[in-house]
Amino acid sequence: MEKIKKLTWREIPQARLAVWTLIAGEFVIFGGLIVMYILNRLKYESWGEMAQHTNVWAGTINTFVLLTSSYFVVKAHEAAVHKNKAQIKKWIWLTIVCAFMFLGIKSYEYTHEIMHGFTLPGKHLVAEGLGVESRYWSFYYTMTGLHGLHVIAGALALFFVMRNVTKTDKNYQRIEAAGLYWHMVDIIWIFLFPLIYLIH
Amino acid sequence: MKIFPENASSYGGEVDFIFWLITGVVAVASVIVIFLLLYPVLTRRRKLTKTQRYQKGEGFRNLRLIYLGILLLAIADFFFLYKEGPTWTKIEETLPDKEFHVAIIGRQWLWEIVYPGPDGKLYTADDVKKINQFYMPVNSVVHMDIQSYDVIHSVFIPNARFKQDALPGRNITRWVKMTKTGTFPLSCAEICGIGHANMKATIIVQNKEDFKKTLTKLYKK
Amino acid sequence: MNTHKKHGFWHRYFFSLDHKDIGFQYMLTIFFMVSIGGFFAYVFRMHLAFPDMKVPLFGLVTNKDYNMLITNHGLIMMMWLALGMLLAVAGNFLIPIMIGTDDMAFPKLNKISYWIFLLSVILMIASFFMPKGGLGVGWTLYPPLSVGDFGYNTPYKSFADRFFTANTFVLLAIAFEFTSLLMGGINFFVTTLNKRAKGMSLLKMPMVVWMINIANLLFMFSVGPLVAGTFMLLLDINVGTGFYDAYRGGDPLLWEHLFWFFGHPEVYVILLPPLGILAEIISVNSRKPLFGYKFILTLTLIAAVLSTMVWAHHQFVAGIDPRAATVFSIFTIIISLPFAGIILAYIATLWKGDLRFTLPMKWALGAVALFTLLGGFTGLHLGASVFDIYAHDTSFVVAHFHYTLFPTVIFGSFAAIYFWFSKFSGRKLNQTLGNLHFWLTFIFFNGFAFPLFLLGLAGQHRRIADYRQFEFLMQDPLPLYRKIATISAVILILSQFIFLFNFIWSLKRGKKETEDNPWQANTLEWQTSSPPPHGNFKVYPVVNYGPYEYNRPDKDKDFTPQNEI
Repeated sequence: MEKIKKLTWREIPQARLAVWTLIAGEFVIFGGLIVMYILNRLKYESWGEMAQHTNVWAGTINTFVLLTSSYFVVKAHEAAVHKNKAQIKKWIWLTIVCAFMFLGIKSYEYTHEIMHGFTLPGKHLVAEGLGVESRYWSFYYTMTGLHGLHVIAGALALFFVMRNVTKTDKNYQRIEAAGLYWHMVDIIWIFLFPLIYLIH
Repeated sequence: MKIFPENASSYGGEVDFIFWLITGVVAVASVIVIFLLLYPVLTRRRKLTKTQRYQKGEGFRNLRLIYLGILLLAIADFFFLYKEGPTWTKIEETLPDKEFHVAIIGRQWLWEIVYPGPDGKLYTADDVKKINQFYMPVNSVVHMDIQSYDVIHSVFIPNARFKQDALPGRNITRWVKMTKTGTFPLSCAEICGIGHANMKATIIVQNKEDFKKTLTKLYKK
Repeated sequence: MNTHKKHGFWHRYFFSLDHKDIGFQYMLTIFFMVSIGGFFAYVFRMHLAFPDMKVPLFGLVTNKDYNMLITNHGLIMMMWLALGMLLAVAGNFLIPIMIGTDDMAFPKLNKISYWIFLLSVILMIASFFMPKGGLGVGWTLYPPLSVGDFGYNTPYKSFADRFFTANTFVLLAIAFEFTSLLMGGINFFVTTLNKRAKGMSLLKMPMVVWMINIANLLFMFSVGPLVAGTFMLLLDINVGTGFYDAYRGGDPLLWEHLFWFFGHPEVYVILLPPLGILAEIISVNSRKPLFGYKFILTLTLIAAVLSTMVWAHHQFVAGIDPRAATVFSIFTIIISLPFAGIILAYIATLWKGDLRFTLPMKWALGAVALFTLLGGFTGLHLGASVFDIYAHDTSFVVAHFHYTLFPTVIFGSFAAIYFWFSKFSGRKLNQTLGNLHFWLTFIFFNGFAFPLFLLGLAGQHRRIADYRQFEFLMQDPLPLYRKIATISAVILILSQFIFLFNFIWSLKRGKKETEDNPWQANTLEWQTSSPPPHGNFKVYPVVNYGPYEYNRPDKDKDFTPQNEI
C-alpha cells in the first residue's frame, strides 16, 4: 500500500487537478438545470402525473448498470497502479459495454415514450390542453439527453485513454483521470434518477 | 439647462432627489479622488531616486487611511439606501387606493390601453380598448395592469419617472398619479423587434370633468 | 529545454503549441472581431446622429439593420473582445512566463481551445449571412424575442428553417466560446497551481496572475447555469421545448436570471485581469512595492464572492419581486466598497513614488481615473434601485457601462500591449504614435460617452433606431449631444488605426529591443531574453523575492528581480 501523505498543490498530478476542475464546472451546469427543474416541479403539481409515465424499471436497471460500471473503472484504476495492461483493457472494455447497455436501455425508453405521444414539442399534449405538462417532457429529454451525451463522452475518453496507455506504455495516470470523469457521469445520474423517475 | 424632462407625477420629485443626492456626494468624493490622483502625478514627476519610501502596506496601521476611505464610502452608501428605501416601497411595493384602473397591454408594436366599461370594472365584456391613447384623470391614483401578448416590452413614462417591464404570462400592477394636465409620451424601453423604435403611446392627462366626457365618448363608440 | 526552431506560417499560426504563439493567434482573431464590432458601432452611431444620411461604406440603415448592428456590436465586444482579450490573450501570454515555466500544463488542450474559439468566431460571422439576416434582439438575447417566430403557436417550420437562423448560430457561437474559455480556464488554473517556478509561493505570484485566475474561477462558477440556459434556448428555437414559453407555463424571467447570474459576475471577470495589469504597471512605474498586496487580494476575493449575489440589479423593473430588489440593491451598493479599497491601494502606490510617465503608465492612470470617477461612481446611481426605475434601459446605462468597460478592457489591454510588446516581439512600438494614440483615445472616448449621460437623464431610451418620433428627445440641445457623441466615436474609431499601423509596422520594422528588462521590472518575464526563446527560459528561474520589491532598503539598485539571489 502506498503511504498516504498530504500533497502540496504542486505534487498533485496535473491530470487529476484538471479533471477535478472540469467536474466542478460540470456540476454547476447540471446544478443549474436541476435547480430549474425542481423549481418548476414545485410550482406544477401536475408534473407528477407525467412522471408516472416514465419506465421506472428501466431507470432502476440503468442505475445498476452505471453503478456496476463505476466498479469496473475502480478495478481499471487499480490495474493502472500496477501497470497491468491486460487487466486495464479488460476492465475498461467492460465499462464501455456498460455504457452501451445504458444507452441501449435509454433508447428503448425513448422509443416507448415517443410512441405514447410524449414527444419533444409535445404537440399532442398541447392539443389536449396539457401545455404546462408538456414541459415536463422538455426537461426529461433535455436532462437525460445531456446526461446521455456525457455518457458517450466519458466512454470515448476511456476508450482513447486505454488505447493510448496500451500502445505507449506510459501515461498511466490518465486512466485515473478518465475514471474520475466517469464517476461524475455516474453521480449525476444518481441525482437525476429519483428527481425524474421516482417523485410522483 | 434642463437635465430631466418636466416632472409630472407625485413621486417623480423623490426620484430626482435621489439622483441629486447621490450626485452631490459623488461630486465631493470625485474631488477627493482627483486630488489623490493628481497630487502625486504633478509633484512626483521628476526622478527622485531613493526619496520614495519602501511601503508594502501591510497591517492595519499602514492601511488605516484606506480603511477610512472605505468607511466613508460605506457611510455614504448606507445613507443612500436609507434615503431611497421609503421611495422604493412607495413606488413599487405598495398600491394606494385606486381611483381609476386600466390595463396596458404591449404587443408588437403598439400599446393597447383597456379601459373599464360603464360598470367601472376591468376585464368584463364592456371594456373599451384604445390603441396608443392613454387618458387619465389628473391628481388621481391610476392603477395600471401591465401585461404583454408576445415578447417583453417595457412601459416607460419619462415625465412620471416610471418604468416597468411587461412580460408575457404575467400581470404586474403598478400605480401612477399625474399632477399636471397635458400630453406626455409613453415609450417602450425594452427591445421588442423591428418596430421597437416606433412603439409609443400618448398619455393625455385631463382634469376630472374633461376626463369624464372623454370616457362617455369612449363608451359611445 | 526545447531548442528554438523557425516555423512556417501554418505552423506558427495554426498548429503551434507554444503559449506565446497561441496567445498571438487569439490576439489576431480578436483584432479581427473588434474591427467588425467597431465598424458596427460606427454605422449605428452615424445613423443616430444623421438619420437620413446614407452611411458611407454601409448605406441607409433600416430599423432591422439597426437592431442587428447594436446586437452584434454588444455581443462581439462583450463575449469576444472583453472575455477573449482578458482571459485568453492575457492568460496565454502572461501566466506561464510570469510564473517562470516553459508552457501551459496542457499545451495540446490550449491549442484545441483556440480552435474552438476560432470555430465560435466563424459561427458568429456566419450568423450575419443567414437567410433572414443577422440577429436583432439585443445582446442580452431575452426570450421570447430571441426564440423569434419559432414559438409553439406559429405554424410548423421545417428543421432547416429553424436551424439556419442567426438565433441558432449566435447561440452555438456563444456555447463554443464558453467551452473554449472553460478549457482555457482549466488549463490556466492547473498551470498556476502546478507549474510555478521553484520558490514561488502563492503569495509571491504577480497580482495579474492572481487576478486572471480568480476571474477564471468566477467565470467557471457563474457560467454553468447559463450554459444550461443556452442549451435550453437552443432547444426552444430548434425543437420547441418551450422552456421560456409563457403560454406553456414557462418563464421568460428565467432566462434573465440565468443570463445575469452569469452576466454580472462576467463584468468582474472582465474587470479583474485589467486591475491586475494596472497593478503591475503602476508598481513598476512608481518604483514602489504594490501597496497592500494581501489587502488587494483579500478585497478581490470578497468582491468575487459578492459579485455572484448582485445579478438582479439588472432586473429591478423587470418584474421580479420588489422586496427582492431591495436586497439586491443593498448588495450592489456594498460591492462598491472592495473596489474602492483596491483603487485607493493603487493610488497609495503612486503616493511618494518616483513616477515615470511611460506610455503604459499613461494608459493605466487614464484607466484608473475614468473607471473610478465616471464608471464606478455612476454605478452608485444605478445601484440605488429608485433612480434605476428611471435610468434603466436609458442611455445613462449605456454611458455607465461604457465608462466601466472601456477604461478597463480597452485602456487595460492597450496598457498591457504597450508594456509587454517589446518583450514578446523583440521590437519597440513607436512612442510618438503611441502618445498620439493615447491622447486621441482618451479625449474622444470622453467626447463619445459623456453626452450619453446627459441624453439618458433627458429620458432617451436605448436601442431606438430613430429618435425623431419622440418630440421630447428632439428638443435642443439633445440632437447636438447625439452629434457630438457620434463625431467623437468616429474619431475614436479612426484613431485606433494609428495603433493598428504602429502595431503592424513595429512588429516588422520597429526598433530592436536591446535590453531584456527595459522597465527595470522585477517579475520573471523580464529576466529572460526579448523575445523569449521557445520554452521561455534558458535556465529555469528560482524565486527568492516577491514580485514588487522596488527600492528595497538593503539593495543598491532600485529593483530586485524575483529570481535574484
